[in-house]
Amino acid sequence: MNARAVAAWSACCLFIVLSTTNPVYKVIVLAAALSALAAGAGLRRMRGLLVAVFLIAAFATLLNFVSAHLGATVLFALPDQIPALGGPYTLEALVFGASGGITIAAAILAAAPFSLQLGSHEVMDALPAPLSRTGVAIASSLNLVPAIATSFVEVTEAQRLRGWRPRGPRSWMEVVVPVVLTSVEGSIQLAESMEARGFGSGARTTIESQALGRADWFLVAASGLALAGFAIAHAAGWAADWLPYPTLTLPTINAWPIAACLLLFAPVLVWRSRS
Amino acid sequence: MAIAKLNHLTYWYPGGATAALRDVCLEIQDGLTVVAGPSGGGKSTLLRVFNGLVPHFHGGRIAGSASVTGLNVIATPTRSMARRVGFVFQDPELQTVYNVVDREVAFGLENTAVPRREIAGRVEEALHAAGIADLAGRTVRTLSGGERQRVALASSLAMRPGLVVLDEPTSQLDPDGARMVLAAATNLVDEGRSVIISEHRLDDLLRQAAGLVLVDRGNVTTADPRAWRPPAQSLRPPRVTAAGGEAWALENVSAGFAGRLVLDGVDLAGRSGEVVVLSGPNGGGKTTLLRLIAGSLAPIGGNVWRRPGRIAYLPQNPTVLLHRPTLRSEVSFTLERSGEVGRPERILEELGLLAVADQYPRDLSSGERQRAALAAVLPGSPACVLLDEPTRGIDSSARGALVALVGRLRDRGASVVLATHDDDLRNALADRVITVSNRKVTEMNLAVRT
Repeated sequence: MNARAVAAWSACCLFIVLSTTNPVYKVIVLAAALSALAAGAGLRRMRGLLVAVFLIAAFATLLNFVSAHLGATVLFALPDQIPALGGPYTLEALVFGASGGITIAAAILAAAPFSLQLGSHEVMDALPAPLSRTGVAIASSLNLVPAIATSFVEVTEAQRLRGWRPRGPRSWMEVVVPVVLTSVEGSIQLAESMEARGFGSGARTTIESQALGRADWFLVAASGLALAGFAIAHAAGWAADWLPYPTLTLPTINAWPIAACLLLFAPVLVWRSRS
Repeated sequence: MAIAKLNHLTYWYPGGATAALRDVCLEIQDGLTVVAGPSGGGKSTLLRVFNGLVPHFHGGRIAGSASVTGLNVIATPTRSMARRVGFVFQDPELQTVYNVVDREVAFGLENTAVPRREIAGRVEEALHAAGIADLAGRTVRTLSGGERQRVALASSLAMRPGLVVLDEPTSQLDPDGARMVLAAATNLVDEGRSVIISEHRLDDLLRQAAGLVLVDRGNVTTADPRAWRPPAQSLRPPRVTAAGGEAWALENVSAGFAGRLVLDGVDLAGRSGEVVVLSGPNGGGKTTLLRLIAGSLAPIGGNVWRRPGRIAYLPQNPTVLLHRPTLRSEVSFTLERSGEVGRPERILEELGLLAVADQYPRDLSSGERQRAALAAVLPGSPACVLLDEPTRGIDSSARGALVALVGRLRDRGASVVLATHDDDLRNALADRVITVSNRKVTEMNLAVRT
């Protein structure tokens, strides 16, 4: 799996889901992203992400339902005197909120392969040559994250046994300062180790092949076709937008943009779980 | 043939009033050279001269000259020296850039723009040379400390350096891991490379060494490795008082974290005025046992009981404790928080740290930092003393001071539990030795110990 091919697919998903307000197309993209992740990462590894995405989407839906008192179909009303919450609660606001939640969920899941399926070095390898050194620096700093988490636990335990107790934000300085200092020192030692192995000598090469394989080309082609197809359909007016206000209506659909969205299921054919 | 030559070399760290290395005149020949000396004496600084990290990475002022593998160190940046001098640091976790073994070993080759078609072969060659060909393709975080350190060695060998420098590479490892790393390092000499190694486990190395360099307070001398004897082992402190009643107990305790069971059905107890030593491999559960006794980790099952009183706990990475502006204030912090009256100078003197009492603790050498952390947790009269690898990276004289200090706390009635791989410390202090491995604890019969 080449990170550049993954990036092409993710970018196409994001383009479609952000360029239309039509929930039908968004739902197809969401389904494509879910299927692709299930094929590539496996359902077990997705579990935590799915819970987080569901909560974020639910929050977005609720936020619009509570804050947008627009639409003709009133479900119930709260007295106007209640600040922020008062006013009519409408079916249109609920559905539009759900559409926003689907957008956020699809966008997160479209970007998820970078963290769930690729190693940090694979993502950094995909950066253009002028950014390769920056990429290495980012990849190495990501490796320090578990060490920082460990030192936070160690410091908290050790300071408690020296008599420290959390009493207000200032007291946390006695934990935060050692954790930060330890992290900075860890970064300096890592930098020293990188320098000792020639980091910064000039242009770099890489052990990994940057060439796209057949499956990668297939994914890039499918993503490109999907993007071009949807953009043309949108420009031609076939991928009509949708607004639920003032009265809720069903979204208009067309075969061409649906076909373009269905191309985003291509990863299901080529991605296999590494776990 | 001389692989390195230092001529009247003097070096000051940035802002340092005194020189870290003083007028060093040294010639190092091919083969294995051992660097020894007390912690804080300047060993790490000297080693960093060989690949130019001193002065190029650390800054500061330098006088005199240094030539290594024919290159002028002062005029050649470290990234260029890297092609000829490999360097392995103390902490295997803080020298890993990538999370896959092959990528990590290839890192230096990628940096020096070795063509892609050559890299795979060089990586394979380096993995073989470090004795870890079977680790190819493994995820680094799944490796033991000894394996990780050999990955670091392979990473430097991939550059095909003429000289490999190792800075206390076994200080964080259990005996098996240390043996693996030292065997890999000495094999390099048989393959025709030169190796300079700083170590506290000297016995085997000195038998094979062609040269011995002694570093103390920035002064560098040489000695015959076959004639030189390391300082004597710590003596067992005489017991003044007998052990008292039960101070802590674990009854049928199971414990673990992140879904992994580390201890299962453990029954164990310790008395006041007694020293219990925990031994066993890395990852065996020694730290988990200490955290259970300290009350930092709740058991999954069973009961933990401990007599009331102050706990002095030294974590495995002791420097995480240090955050005060001076070492003296670090000790005062513990005394104040525990409500005890005492002079911080007493413990600083006992651990040989009075001269650096007003220094910033994180500016000290790694061995001094270890002692600083001990000073920070051990002042006053703790009821329970729990120390996780307390002699990591410290020299024999500091170990002797620690033995005397723990002996004094024991005689005052403290219940002491040490997790250690250090046989010398164990022999000097242990009333009981408990092996922690495979989720179980087993008491060793001290009458038959080696």
